[in-house]
Amino acid sequence: MLETLQNLSLGFSVALSPGVLLYAFLGCLVGTLVGVLPGVGPLAGISLLLPATFGLDATRAIVMLAGIYYGAMYGGSTTSILMRIPGEAASVMTCIDGYAMARKGRAGAALAIAAVGSYLAGTVSVVALMFLAPPLAAFALRFGPPEYFALLVLGLLVLAYMSTGSMVKSLAMAAFGLLLGMVGIDQMTGYFRYHYGVVELGDGLGVVPVAVGLFGLSEILITAGQTTRPPVINPRFRELLPSRREWREAGAPIGRGTVLGFVIGIIPGSAHIISSFVSYAVERRLSKRPQEFGKGAVAGVAGPESANNAATSGALVPMLALGVPSGPIPAVMLAAMMVHGVSPGPMLIRQQPELFWGFVASMYVGNLVLLILNLPLVGLFVNLLRIPYHFLYPGILIFSLVGVYAVNNSVTDVWIMLGMALVGWVLRKLDFETAPIVLGLVLAPMMEMSLRQSLAMSDGQYAIFLSRPIAGTLLAVAAVLVAMGLKPLLTRTLDWRARLALAEKGEEL
Amino acid sequence: MIRRRVVALLTLVLAVPILAASADDYPSRPMTIVAPFPPGGMADLHARPIAAAMEKVLKSPVGVVNKTGAAGAVGMQFVAASKPDGYTLLLALSSISIIPEADKLFGRQPAFTADQFEPIALLSADPTILVVRTDSPWKTAREFIEDARKRPGQISYSSSGVYGTLHMAMELLQHPAGIKLRHVPYAGAGPAMTAILGGHVDALASGPAVVIPQIKAGTLRPLAGWGDRRVAALPEVPTFKELGYPEAEFYIWAGLFAPKGTPEPVLARLRESVRAAVNDAEFKGAMDKMQTPIDFKQGEEFKKFFEADARRLAEGVRRVGRIEEKK
Repeated sequence: MLETLQNLSLGFSVALSPGVLLYAFLGCLVGTLVGVLPGVGPLAGISLLLPATFGLDATRAIVMLAGIYYGAMYGGSTTSILMRIPGEAASVMTCIDGYAMARKGRAGAALAIAAVGSYLAGTVSVVALMFLAPPLAAFALRFGPPEYFALLVLGLLVLAYMSTGSMVKSLAMAAFGLLLGMVGIDQMTGYFRYHYGVVELGDGLGVVPVAVGLFGLSEILITAGQTTRPPVINPRFRELLPSRREWREAGAPIGRGTVLGFVIGIIPGSAHIISSFVSYAVERRLSKRPQEFGKGAVAGVAGPESANNAATSGALVPMLALGVPSGPIPAVMLAAMMVHGVSPGPMLIRQQPELFWGFVASMYVGNLVLLILNLPLVGLFVNLLRIPYHFLYPGILIFSLVGVYAVNNSVTDVWIMLGMALVGWVLRKLDFETAPIVLGLVLAPMMEMSLRQSLAMSDGQYAIFLSRPIAGTLLAVAAVLVAMGLKPLLTRTLDWRARLALAEKGEEL
Repeated sequence: MIRRRVVALLTLVLAVPILAASADDYPSRPMTIVAPFPPGGMADLHARPIAAAMEKVLKSPVGVVNKTGAAGAVGMQFVAASKPDGYTLLLALSSISIIPEADKLFGRQPAFTADQFEPIALLSADPTILVVRTDSPWKTAREFIEDARKRPGQISYSSSGVYGTLHMAMELLQHPAGIKLRHVPYAGAGPAMTAILGGHVDALASGPAVVIPQIKAGTLRPLAGWGDRRVAALPEVPTFKELGYPEAEFYIWAGLFAPKGTPEPVLARLRESVRAAVNDAEFKGAMDKMQTPIDFKQGEEFKKFFEADARRLAEGVRRVGRIEEKK
């Protein structure tokens, strides 16, 4: 404990030195911009800017890249809330209730809650990272393919809480998403699936172009198709800050989102994306008023936004403690370390204490910088909503096109986005919700890969899922949840979904 | 007839100055090196320092573009189809030989073929190292191979993906050693390392730069290397060649290529500039930091290396065959 504090003071002496502080600030600033730009997420941001850090020393380079990483997570919520365009994959859930809040004139409150939630989640999870990195990393390694598969099965159950409408429609959309996730090279055999001669489809459909098309561009199409234009929102200054009631509603979801996000973030793989989905489901399950979700529930913004920021720090645990990447973004950061002659591995903390502790301290500083940077920007961002639609929408369209193109320099991605915009428009006209599609698309490749890897490990024995303690426990939890979901069928009591459906019918009549 | 001659003559007259100009003035505008993998990957980490060093030698801008997708096929196809004028180059890894072979295996129209490229220079070639966890029973490569012979299909290994470099390395060992290991592919070399550290597989073949930190930390134990001589940083680790398996030879390499049909004077200028660039202090420093020794080969020497490597890989891919449902 004492040693940790001593180390931390060493870290702060590094992090607060003007050179490092400057790059932390730059990283946060660039990250916020990257997050705000539709389509360009943290991975693209870090990849594009990695070469620019080659000239810096190792500590500055890592501090700046980390700043971009969690800065993008902050920024990602902005366009989700204001325009229903997910800045990156992890803010898809924020689109739903964040945008609904904005339509009710609470855009400022939603942005402020997202910023504060992100700050608290970021800071708390750095504390966890600092004290628990080595033991947690060892635990994370026990998550092999069978455990991962079991976790994703739990993730799929999230579906039950994602939409307000009919369960059949949600399942249909999730199945559609899972099918979209089948496009691309089969990682286990090398077969190409559904590529129709387009080499670019070998990597499958990207989550970002699909999400931007389904959510953001379809919203533009829907609005353009309405005979009466929705009124331009004119936020007043005193409405910018969340009310006391909204703060109270945000508190517990922020706490739960933080814990959930950090734990999911540690697990190797791309699980951090599902942290926000899981958080949304948990909040809805625990909420006393689940009917408010989808219509601007504060918890639906606070939970997922905190979760995706906590997952950021969680993902750095295996990277720093063991030198192994827990996902594509830490992998780029590991490369950055190698470029600077720092060999990442289990010895990093001992061999490079300035780097490790400087990095940890810079994350405290960076989260604070982001809060200071983002809160005043809330006023500015909210004012974007004052722009009349005939100027705002073409602008959004251009930014989306540029953003999605820039990630891979790929025109194919732009076509995917435009195609998905049309699909999203049709589906929403028919009262289907699009969030389950994104969940399916995210889960399909991961689930398939981990299922088949598990079977490759066990030479085809399905018992592997039950004989391993973590996987077995997770699957048991999933079974209990399904059983609980079936209870109303047996006992003839109405669950919230049924009550909600009745209530809505009543409204319509 | 006469008209055709005039046309031919005119073409010749007009073409000669253009050809001459392209050789003398080359490069007269910025050049691009295409890295077919994302920033931070091995191709990118070779392309950037060599681009910077070539820029100094040629006194003309040299940029790097990451054209990624489909395991590198997108970027390689792009260079294969670009104009052979020496302004678009490719920084390729051994996947340049593997992908066309895999396409052939599946009866696909190949995205590109290796003979669409003109080799310029090899920059590095690191043999893979066979590692196991320190708590595993195998102390030497012989023990490992003997145990694997007794229990075919029981010992598992992780790889960077099916037909990927780490898969090929193991495949090239299994045949001469007469063993059959259980293959669990992962999406990349990083996750493959995570898998062995977590105890989900038993063995892994990966590059020295990746395994050495884990060896030093005492988590992994090296058994043998795929090189034709021992790795300088691991002098106590034998090669499979020494152990009697000369066919188990495999390198993770990076080299510079131009599209086929690039004029000879331009190629000569390129070769000369790369030769000077690899001796640049900054390039050497960059490679040193990545713990990747420079292995510079050019002309016939590189061609021989490239062809021998392609032959081994083609055989490896064919031996793996199409992965079908069993039974």
